[in-house]
Amino acid sequence: MAPHTPRRADGPPVGTHRASMMDRLSKGVFYLPIVFMMLFFALPMALTVVFSVFERTMFWMEPGFTLFAYENFIFSARLTNFLSSMYYSLISVAICFVLGFPIAVFLRKSVPQVAQHRVVLLFILPFMVSEIIRVFALRPVLQRNGLVNTTLQNLGLIDEPITALLYTHTGVIIGEVMSFLPFIVFSGFLAMEAVPKYIFEVCDDLGAGPVRRFVDVILPLAAPGIFAGCVFIFVNGLGVALLPNILGGAGAVNAGLIATQAIAALDFPLAMAVSAIMMTTLMTLLYIGHRLFDLTKILSPIN
Amino acid sequence: MNQTDFNRRQMLALIGSAAAVAGLPTQSFAAEALKLWAPGIAKVGGSDWAAMEAQAGVPIAAIAKSARADESIQKMVVGDGNKLYDAMTDNGGGMEDALASQGAIATLDPARIANWSGILADYKDGGPAADTIRHNGDLVAIPYISNADSLAFNHGVIGEELTSWEALFDSQFRGRAAMQNDFGPTLTNTAIYLKQSGKQDIENPSDMSEAEVKGVCQFLIDLKKKGHFRTFWDGVQNGSDLLSSEEVLVSSCWEVIQIFAARKNGQDIRYGTMKEGHQSWNNVVMLTKGGQERGMEDAFYALANVYLSPWFGARTLAGLGFTPQMVGVSDYIDAHPDDFDAETKALLADRLARKQERADTPGNSWQNVFPTNIRAYQDWWARVQAA
Repeated sequence: MAPHTPRRADGPPVGTHRASMMDRLSKGVFYLPIVFMMLFFALPMALTVVFSVFERTMFWMEPGFTLFAYENFIFSARLTNFLSSMYYSLISVAICFVLGFPIAVFLRKSVPQVAQHRVVLLFILPFMVSEIIRVFALRPVLQRNGLVNTTLQNLGLIDEPITALLYTHTGVIIGEVMSFLPFIVFSGFLAMEAVPKYIFEVCDDLGAGPVRRFVDVILPLAAPGIFAGCVFIFVNGLGVALLPNILGGAGAVNAGLIATQAIAALDFPLAMAVSAIMMTTLMTLLYIGHRLFDLTKILSPIN
Repeated sequence: MNQTDFNRRQMLALIGSAAAVAGLPTQSFAAEALKLWAPGIAKVGGSDWAAMEAQAGVPIAAIAKSARADESIQKMVVGDGNKLYDAMTDNGGGMEDALASQGAIATLDPARIANWSGILADYKDGGPAADTIRHNGDLVAIPYISNADSLAFNHGVIGEELTSWEALFDSQFRGRAAMQNDFGPTLTNTAIYLKQSGKQDIENPSDMSEAEVKGVCQFLIDLKKKGHFRTFWDGVQNGSDLLSSEEVLVSSCWEVIQIFAARKNGQDIRYGTMKEGHQSWNNVVMLTKGGQERGMEDAFYALANVYLSPWFGARTLAGLGFTPQMVGVSDYIDAHPDDFDAETKALLADRLARKQERADTPGNSWQNVFPTNIRAYQDWWARVQAA
């Protein structure tokens, strides 16, 4: 017997109406991330570009169209500073990869699965402390009469303190590695999801040495995750102003600091232009990465 | 002060601030607390504002503020600062003009400040100091601290008194010298040195032409390329760490940095008097238009009266080394031996004497927050950083 369905005199059954509304609502939920991204990412980014071509006034800016902020960025020393900070960020990325990715491989390969996430947690713990405190804490370690120099001098390994550790580009790189290393460990750990454990045994059986195994098997499989981690470190190296501010010397400037200084000088179009250039750099990197490695694979289920 | 008073006052301040920040109607709290947007250096007498409130006789809801010009402009000219704050502090010599020209602050009546009669003569007689608290001839700000920035040096290591900016740029301190990471004071002090030593023709170190800015910056770039500067410091903590850790032996800095650096390890770090001159500056307190409209004038004038009292002047001199803005500070210190023991008294007398010496140096130039060619300053400063 067909169930009795309540029905309005001139419309569809009440239950059907409610079901279709629920259906529409549940479909709408899937649009929420898009709305969120439009409101809090695409729109601010678009406004950043729009503001960057506005005319600068004494205290703010007014609508107009001028490329002066970009011209100012390119033909002053700011472009040199920007390129230089890209170079040093790349060095930080390389060091983070060399130090961090083997840890991720070790975690996946050698730590029992039940303990893996707990060990990863250890690398996330430093993030519980404010970054500014972590960076400040490096100074007593790296300075002229700091822990490193005092220890090396006490051991008789050096006569004069090493001054290159702080207030230099080296200091900034040390700070970046200390701050961002967990990102490559974490993204590397996720990336290694794409490398089943039996791969290691297969490589051993086939006589592939550690180098060949790493270059020909692990790297290609884990590439999307590694790339994502590297981009994250690179972009932070460009953008986090407090690192060159606290650990850098007279010439250590990154894009974040350039933008901060432009804001401090009330040159808002220039600050917007620097932000737009940074954002374009990031999007270009992500596009290239996606074309090369298909970044959607990071979240793909393992077969 | 008992705990009950403390809780009531703090609660009122907290509610007033929260209501202001939330944009709620504040009339009911306005009669209670003056919402003051100011940095910690604007208070004396303890870690909170209780002593200042007791002196002024009005409750104060203090909201922390940095020294950045952009923050003030964004809040007061572009943003909703007039809804949030009844009074605020900032740098004289530019900010008072900027804020007054945008209608963000109110004109003041000195007749309503009893201690106005004791303000330093420089502020009354016209000239650069008087100009830092006026806009188009109208009084718009009350000074509460000032100084003439100079060179701090590690006397214990160097072994001699330094009396010229020449030392800061001398090759014997290569890699052990620092300057402030701010084009304003750094370029002005360098310009004062270059002008007074005859190394460069500069008409006004506080307001240089593009060519003059270029010349000053190229001088710094040449030094920087030789590795002369260890770093450009930002903030009191950074600046004092550099000196106390002996990362640098000479640094152009605020006096408070020298005081903190010397206190930290008990080193003999001194603040010299430079024969070429110094950049002078002050900080001022202003009544916002919003504060005036909300009827906070009486509370503001009560606070301004405290800022011009020897009670405040003696304490800001003793604590952070800022120059008092009124006469009669030495007499006040003499009359209050319980607050200032013999050792402190001698220290303050010495500090005041050195301040006077610096203030009397002919080559001094006043801080200019918005020089005419500010873009040239910014662009050339970027080149200094990139060098």
